[in-house]
Amino acid sequence: MKNNIRVERAIKKLTQEELSRLVQVSRQTINAIESEKYVPSTLLSLKISKIFEKNVNDIFQLEESDWKE
Amino acid sequence: MKPNYLLSNQFKKIGWILFIPSMILGLLFVIFQFQPKFLDIKVFAILDSSVTPWDSWNNFFVVTQTNATDEIIGILLIISLFLIAFSKEKTEDEFISKIRLESLLWATYINYAILIFAILFVYGGSAFWILVYNIFTVLIFFIIRFNWVIRKSGKLAKNEK
Repeated sequence: MKNNIRVERAIKKLTQEELSRLVQVSRQTINAIESEKYVPSTLLSLKISKIFEKNVNDIFQLEESDWKE
Repeated sequence: MKPNYLLSNQFKKIGWILFIPSMILGLLFVIFQFQPKFLDIKVFAILDSSVTPWDSWNNFFVVTQTNATDEIIGILLIISLFLIAFSKEKTEDEFISKIRLESLLWATYINYAILIFAILFVYGGSAFWILVYNIFTVLIFFIIRFNWVIRKSGKLAKNEK
């Protein structure tokens, strides 16, 4: 799964630390999501989208490889 | 929201405060046979036998003489390791929980792999001590692995900014 949190963060001028506090998770978690090492839960995805005032689909996108495995 | 069966964060500190002296006492016990005389006490035993439970049936529910040093150290070590291992992180979120579960699985694999290796290649009195250490090693492997991964992802996060 791809995401453009880093871009959205830049638009909102938020650091990882600040975003993590806004969505009540650790800084490690935001970092792991941005570097695509961790796929967030639906709940956390919704919270992140809410902060960026976008739809979940605008922030997170499926990739071809998500259908395999 | 959901139960996660963890203790609150402040117990981690208590765990470390308890662990360090327990570990020192444990090492004294193992290396120098540290067994203070005042801990020679009579205790109630469900079972007290030298080899197998069935070598003598009248060894059940008896009062027996022992030195309580190893019992006390063992219990202190188990409790302190549990406090360290299973207290929440400052922010215990879904990613941290995932690392926690992975680390627990990893620690169990490693622990039993080492145990099988030891069963095959360690004999005599040392084999007994392997089993004694094995009481604590799952938790120790877990604590090392979990904290190492958390720290690693923490470092990465700092560099990101």
